[in-house]
Amino acid sequence: MRDPLMTQSSNDPIDRREALRRAALLLGGTLSTSTIAGVLAGCEVRRTSEGAWAPRALTSDQLELVATIAEHIVPETDTPGARAALVHRFIDAMLADSYLPDERQHFLAGLADVDARAQRSSGRAFLRCATIEQRAVLDQLDREAFAATLDRGATPFFRTMKELTLVGYYTSEIGATRELRHAPVPGRFEGCVPLDQIGRAWAV
Amino acid sequence: MIEPYDAIVVGSGITGGWAAKELCEKGLRTLVIERGRHVEHGKDYVTEWWQPWQFAHRGRGEQQLYERDYAIQSKNYAFGEATRHFFVNDRDHPYVTPDDQPFRWIRGYQLGGRSLIWGRACWRWSDLDFTANGRDGHGVDWPIRYRDLAPWYAYVERFIGVSGERLGLAHLPDGEFLPPWELTCAERVVKQGIERAFRGRRVTITRVANLTRAHGGRGPCQARNQCARGCSFGGYFSSLSATLPAARQTGRLTVVTDAIVHSVIYDERTNRVTGVRVIDANTKAAREYSGGLVFLCASTIGTAQILLSSRSPRFPTGLANSSGELGHNLMDHISKAGARGTVPGLEDKYVYGRRPTGSYIPRFRNLGVPGEAKVGFLRGYGMQAGSGRQGWGRGAEAPGLGVELKQRLREPGPWGITLQGYGECLPRHENYVDLDPERTDQWGIPLPRVHCSWGENERAIREDVKTQGAEMLEAAGCSNVETYDEDGPPGFSVHEMGTARMGRDPRTSVLNAHNQAHDVPNLFVTDGACMASSSCVNPSLTYMALTARAVDFAVSELKRRNL
Repeated sequence: MRDPLMTQSSNDPIDRREALRRAALLLGGTLSTSTIAGVLAGCEVRRTSEGAWAPRALTSDQLELVATIAEHIVPETDTPGARAALVHRFIDAMLADSYLPDERQHFLAGLADVDARAQRSSGRAFLRCATIEQRAVLDQLDREAFAATLDRGATPFFRTMKELTLVGYYTSEIGATRELRHAPVPGRFEGCVPLDQIGRAWAV
Repeated sequence: MIEPYDAIVVGSGITGGWAAKELCEKGLRTLVIERGRHVEHGKDYVTEWWQPWQFAHRGRGEQQLYERDYAIQSKNYAFGEATRHFFVNDRDHPYVTPDDQPFRWIRGYQLGGRSLIWGRACWRWSDLDFTANGRDGHGVDWPIRYRDLAPWYAYVERFIGVSGERLGLAHLPDGEFLPPWELTCAERVVKQGIERAFRGRRVTITRVANLTRAHGGRGPCQARNQCARGCSFGGYFSSLSATLPAARQTGRLTVVTDAIVHSVIYDERTNRVTGVRVIDANTKAAREYSGGLVFLCASTIGTAQILLSSRSPRFPTGLANSSGELGHNLMDHISKAGARGTVPGLEDKYVYGRRPTGSYIPRFRNLGVPGEAKVGFLRGYGMQAGSGRQGWGRGAEAPGLGVELKQRLREPGPWGITLQGYGECLPRHENYVDLDPERTDQWGIPLPRVHCSWGENERAIREDVKTQGAEMLEAAGCSNVETYDEDGPPGFSVHEMGTARMGRDPRTSVLNAHNQAHDVPNLFVTDGACMASSSCVNPSLTYMALTARAVDFAVSELKRRNL
């Protein structure tokens, strides 16, 4: 069984309990839960940033395509966008672990269709199109995806792509803490406060 | 500790924890037997401090794994990437249902049981509930009334800490409350609208075992609303945060984990139980523990399974089953139907923090008050309500992308409110648990078979829930009002109860007014199995009060040498 702590980078997942034990020993054995969790989070971040990460469901070309589309959906503004938030890695993990084979195929076919549409409209693969041409392809897909009736057939590719992008972005550290507001430990609840006091939407 | 123990408690969930605490505090050397693994308060809440981005699938989980190993558990609202380890693997722990009668049995096999993952709502029952069977003839009359349980409700509330609002309603008695959680702006508007339009209906905050201020060395609750991951603040009540530590403090508690109780050992000569047979969950070796009293707190179906497995010449169909009612009269609450709508305006208002509960509309049907509407069903329902402003998720449901989308989702969306009915289920003999005659689990214990379906009365309640929910939201000025009905099968509300019911008559019930088996004086059942009816409110507070009361009785009987 996969442990949720272990990121997609981990080929040798150490047992969670073992990780806790090691962390506790390392730091004197009298750690609070939060400290241990912090240490483990640090371990995880280091593991993913060492370059050991590789996609499991997507080819490197498909991964780049996903990253580019995601950045169109949630672009960099005064805060970083989907690419910086590594949304494409999350999407790869979902395709590998959560999607059933036919759902995964449907998604990959959707990616291929993006390229096919770019070929038709601009005579080039999507990634070789100008930004404005790319955007035109996606705007068209977006309109079609939301014009389609949902009860017939599979969910349109672009709906899935958009949902995965939003989940991946707004649950990322960048999305939750820089773009939106996040309070890991609020400490209290107030049921009716001025929106100005919070400023933006809560991530969670 | 040297055997025999003075008392054995089977199960460490919400009632097992209470039985242990009360028995130990009254001087009995007590053994608690838990079938699942050891969980240490704080240390083993392994996901408690994880932030959303630290979950590989961002809380969305692994669908393929869930379908293979958690086909039932993953349907529960509290199940997810952050909490999976507190739910059983369905493949490892099978049970049987007929193809056309699904039953969702949600389980947490670990020290603390489902008290780690419970919904925490705490409502007292009233005489409207305790007299219901007697009045309309379904099931058997409860052998107790509200006055019997009221002091025990207070006793339990004082220890666990229940936040709530006093309402002065006879059918939803007030308790000893910590300050209530605040209603949201939207709930305040809806409350005003409903209470103005419908005489006698009320909207209140849920009474909940989350501490709005520090209480008994625990809490306060930090308003994270992630209780089922475990809470090292002890911000909500569980066996691990409260009752087991209190029991341990007496020096009289022994806890054994990874020990699955196969059956209770019965001595025909003395007509007493003398201990339990267990199978080691890891080695699968059998062993026995002996004790002077046995409290079964193994959950409604688990307890029925143990008693049905405990066969002897005197009790060939299961221990303490001279009535033939053991395993029968299984109930749950209907839920997963109601209405939702948008609460207009309040665009400049928001919330701070994540309240760990919702609001509530107490029962308003069949109260027996003059002039009330006649309805086509018996008993009633309450409505649980949730409200809030839409978040970034709404972006996935409409066209738009790019800078415009990102800017739009930076602001919260409109306020919405959802009402969900929780309705009473009638006790019926044909809803029952028995044992599969052939199939066993990997420990050689016969698989429980659950036969349970909703009846006409439950279906009629469901329809009224939807109609009334929509009418109330419309009367409160909501827009986009629509009803929903996800038709959850029995078990889904995780309020299963009734398989060893209390009653006055040994010929028609398993337990007496003190949760003592009619047939065997030193055998007690205080989990949901004991319930003679289901009320429409969440049952855990009543289980706890009954447990404390039963221990008080058992120990006084022990002192009088009646056991």
